[in-house]
Amino acid sequence: MATKNQEDYLETIFHLESEGKTPTTQDIAQHLKISPASVSENLKKLAKEELVKHSPYKGVALTLKGKNIAVDVVRRHRLAERFLVDKLGLKWEKVHEEAHKIEHGISKVVGNKLYEVLGKPKTCPHGNPLPDAKGHIKEERSYPLNTLQKNDKAKIVKITDEDPKLLCYLATLGLMPKMKIRIEEKAPFDGPIMVRIGEATYALGKKIAESIWVKKYEQE
Amino acid sequence: MNKNNYESEIQKIRQETSFTIALVGNPNVGKSTVFNHLTGLGAVTANYPGKTVALNVGMAKYQNIYMGIIDLPGTYSLGSVSEDQFVARQEIFEGHANVVVVIVDATNLERNLYLVLQLIDLGFPVVVACNLMDLAAKHNICVNTDKLSEYLGVPVIPMTATTGEGIEKLIETCINIFQHNVKMKANLPVYGKDIMDHINDLEGIISQNVKQIPFGLSARALAILVLEQDEEFLNYLTTSLHGPAVYDKAKAILEEIERTHGEKPAIRISRERHGYEGFLADKVQQIGVCQVSLSTKLWRFSLEPVTGLPILLAGIVAVFLIMYYCGGFLSAGFDTLWVRFISPYIKFLIFAIFGHNTIANTLLWGFDAGIQAALSVGIPYILIFYLMLAFLEDTGYLNSIAFLTDSLMHKIGLHGRSIIPIIAGAGCNVPAILGTRVLTTRREKIIACTLITLVPCSARTAIIMGAVAFFAGWKWAVAIYLIDFLVGILVGRALAVFLPGQSSGLVMEMFPFRIPRLSTVLKKTWYRFKEFIIIAIPIIAIGSLLLGSLYETKYLWYLTRPMSLIVENWLGLPAVAGICLLFGILRKELALQLLLALAIVQYGPNVQNLLNFMNKQQIFIFGLVTTLYIPCLAAISVLIKELGWKTAAFITLFTITLAVVVGGLANQALNILHLI
Repeated sequence: MATKNQEDYLETIFHLESEGKTPTTQDIAQHLKISPASVSENLKKLAKEELVKHSPYKGVALTLKGKNIAVDVVRRHRLAERFLVDKLGLKWEKVHEEAHKIEHGISKVVGNKLYEVLGKPKTCPHGNPLPDAKGHIKEERSYPLNTLQKNDKAKIVKITDEDPKLLCYLATLGLMPKMKIRIEEKAPFDGPIMVRIGEATYALGKKIAESIWVKKYEQE
Repeated sequence: MNKNNYESEIQKIRQETSFTIALVGNPNVGKSTVFNHLTGLGAVTANYPGKTVALNVGMAKYQNIYMGIIDLPGTYSLGSVSEDQFVARQEIFEGHANVVVVIVDATNLERNLYLVLQLIDLGFPVVVACNLMDLAAKHNICVNTDKLSEYLGVPVIPMTATTGEGIEKLIETCINIFQHNVKMKANLPVYGKDIMDHINDLEGIISQNVKQIPFGLSARALAILVLEQDEEFLNYLTTSLHGPAVYDKAKAILEEIERTHGEKPAIRISRERHGYEGFLADKVQQIGVCQVSLSTKLWRFSLEPVTGLPILLAGIVAVFLIMYYCGGFLSAGFDTLWVRFISPYIKFLIFAIFGHNTIANTLLWGFDAGIQAALSVGIPYILIFYLMLAFLEDTGYLNSIAFLTDSLMHKIGLHGRSIIPIIAGAGCNVPAILGTRVLTTRREKIIACTLITLVPCSARTAIIMGAVAFFAGWKWAVAIYLIDFLVGILVGRALAVFLPGQSSGLVMEMFPFRIPRLSTVLKKTWYRFKEFIIIAIPIIAIGSLLLGSLYETKYLWYLTRPMSLIVENWLGLPAVAGICLLFGILRKELALQLLLALAIVQYGPNVQNLLNFMNKQQIFIFGLVTTLYIPCLAAISVLIKELGWKTAAFITLFTITLAVVVGGLANQALNILHLI
């Protein structure tokens, strides 16, 4: 059984990964507000337990075992949020912190009961999907890039164009699944969309934009 | 220039110099600026991606050492989706260079490092030139080039190519590598363990089985290229003589990677390389808070639909007004100077030598009237236009136009990117047609080239401004532009429907405005203008001499007869105008200049007023026809080179027919409507 501390780590890595990053020690330290030194110490322990893979330069990745635990924590977290909002009437902007304290104490039995009592919710109060008891998390719906608006942030989910040369070319530019982008501008009359990746800015025509499926990305 | 020409030019440079440097890098990082600094040549530079579509080859000298310099088209990686990128790829692989200088953009280090890592991975002798350091400083980005050099294991030189800072250090570094035969110990990029194992596996099998690796690459390089699913090298494994073992193994590894990572191996490698470049960028640069500069704000305004379209419209009007007033002013000035101070002496000289006879009169056509015509209608407008084009190019505004017009361009079978060569066609059609190499399909190239021939180049602008606007009024000049624009749209639309295929999508990097450097703008204007003078003036002189001899010997009138049905009846022009139109195929502005020379000869130098010769309607029709029919011989020969003679012949005949039909219809309409 994972400890509270371990769960926090796995949850953090899970979130960072679903934002499209390969998290680094630095990222995790920032997220958990603790020093990088103790993060790398703890990552070593997690790696020993085969919950994460940790390689220098490359960052951290969850193993299947680690991911299962992480998804379970996410499920408990979101159930707790639901409970706090639906049953206790707390404001939904405020419940994240509270749920974070509760989530570790919820056992499988309590979790399933909560799920029943809350009327089998599909999402947390913020609209994020609730993983089911078996640890399956339904992928959030994705949309073609051209449906987004200016200043939207999104993560690329898939690219449906079939031309392998074009796919490689786009990948070279950083346009590939899991990458985060920002809509900088939209041209008139169904024109191209200007997106930003890191420091680079690209204009993508409608046809290309339609084949890039993204998930809008917001801070939880 | 075709491939054989490059080959021979590069061979020549290699024989004459001790070693060769190739300049590679992402588009718009300043390769050509570095090239110009090194060689003192004038390769065209501007602030948009895709200026260099072919190799620029030159020579540099430093402390008695001669070096060959090859400037390659910009590319993001060694993969290629368009012809210009393919040229870069081939040249890198064929390995004519002793040192590969990768020029990177300090303001966007992360993405630029991709190509560096790929080249290091493949074992090329790399030197990194970290350019645009001044711009990076302005953006509050600090790049530690020493640290980067340590990580990469290759020299990294900070540079600001526009001012020349760092160029000398770059040359010294390259010479050092060459002279001392320094074996660089580049640090190979790091991948995940499984990928590393696969690379090692494949490398082992390749070195055992493959006797001869193309381009003298190492076994490791070939292994990586195969894992990157590079078509050319994958095919090489299937076709050559080393048995099925290697290919089978490669296939097994590729499948294995796809299974473990859930994505194509090429994408996986790309992702891991991006991961590593992100790590490097993180380590070597500090990005401070950056005040949004005025030029960046302007850039954003130029892209936003609400402000961008009015700005575009205002820009077009401004260009027209500047042409009209400044060009007109220069034209009058040049004309007066010629008539007062030069023309009398030329006349005196010619009459003194030859006496008053037909020969003297013919010579006067070439050396007096012809040049006066060039001075008053050609040069002033072309000079002003080149200046404005150079300025616009260097700000980077063309990039914004491409962005705004993409959806319109799709209607005519193209995409926004292709507007850049089309606009460049307003300077001269020849480089514009070469510029279509950035487009990816033949269909796009054909449409773009056809439309480019319909873009009024500076020579035709000279006719429209110098004759139509000047004598018939600015409204009629605007009318020509509008008709031309409309015809262009219709032709584009027709081609888009008629030619099979679809327009490909736009993927274009966007760059904020940069404040143009006056010296660069002036230099570029001068290079283009010099080229114009060198080519145009002799042709004008010879053309005038030819027409003059026809005129003086009265043969002119025989020649006009067969054309009179079309020229006089249908277009309503004086018969000799038809001859001038024929001459216009040599150079466009020649058509008008010969007409003017004709007027000058007939009515004396102070007349120089076409209205004595043709009425306003005729001037308008003359301008319209000249604008529409095929630009000139140079453009035709470039069309043949780029598209083959069949397509070129089709475009030529098509535009001539178009000009005659549209010109005639306009003439008949004006006859009925009496608008002029």
